[in-house]
Amino acid sequence: MSYKCSRCKRDVELDEYGGVRCPYCGHRVLLKERSRDIKDVDVE
Amino acid sequence: MQDYEVEFVERGDREARFLVRDITPAFANGIRRAMIADVPTFSVDELRVVENSSVMFDEQIGLRLGLVPLTTPVDEFEVGDTVTLSLDVQGPGREESTETVTAYSGDIVTSDPMVEPADENIPIIDLKPGQRLELEADAVLDRGREHAKHQGGVAVGYRHLQRVEVVGEKGEFEDDEPHILRGVIEEQEAAHASAGSGGEPRNGELVPTEAFDHDLTNRYPGKDLEVVDVPNAFVFHVETDGSLSVDELVTRAVDSLRGRAEELRDAVQL
Repeated sequence: MSYKCSRCKRDVELDEYGGVRCPYCGHRVLLKERSRDIKDVDVE
Repeated sequence: MQDYEVEFVERGDREARFLVRDITPAFANGIRRAMIADVPTFSVDELRVVENSSVMFDEQIGLRLGLVPLTTPVDEFEVGDTVTLSLDVQGPGREESTETVTAYSGDIVTSDPMVEPADENIPIIDLKPGQRLELEADAVLDRGREHAKHQGGVAVGYRHLQRVEVVGEKGEFEDDEPHILRGVIEEQEAAHASAGSGGEPRNGELVPTEAFDHDLTNRYPGKDLEVVDVPNAFVFHVETDGSLSVDELVTRAVDSLRGRAEELRDAVQL
């Protein structure tokens, strides 16, 4: 799952040991990126 | 099969007004309901969103695309058939730009030229720099009773035809309040004095009330009037969303009504 650091805007890969923290700048706010998959939407 | 007398008052591609005589109120309402609910039109029903970095959710954009009228050729498709459309619009190139690019219905690319947006200037969404909308959509042919986006007729209604009769002169000291009437009138006697209020009247002429600003005192100044509904004569006002012409909409509505009547007749035959 890919995240983006909200301070340095770099892509961040999270693993289960590192905790929620940007490895480049140490910022603790990460934003989840939208998946690149094609999404099916039903129009109601 | 019975024939009906139909007379057009106004006739355009997307909007028309016509008079039908000798039909029952139930039949008139049946035609109206068939125009709204039973004439199938194409409408976007499924999306495959490749990229949506705009400010709106995929579902909201889907709703907007569903409401874009798509042209529906007569007798080429059956209910349930699909046509694929696509849309790819990008925001302005310069990063510092404060302008936006608007995605319009005209940007939709169709795989079948028979099914395309009826209007090119329906805005879908504004895109800022760096935003992009790319998707593929399936348009499905279905009826208005399944979903309002499939309605071909959007403003469909009828009124009684009204006959205006001059019964005498108005008293000298009577107050002249406006006599407001909306719809189409059938003029009875050519007995009104005012010139320049929509031409010379003839007996039985149909005049839309817009011609005299919906005020009968403009057309019949100083006259005492009687307005009566003409029995079993209805003036339909039909407006389509552009997916069909008025002629196609009305004839297909009547066809669907006939189809169901025949089905009923066959079903109850002993």
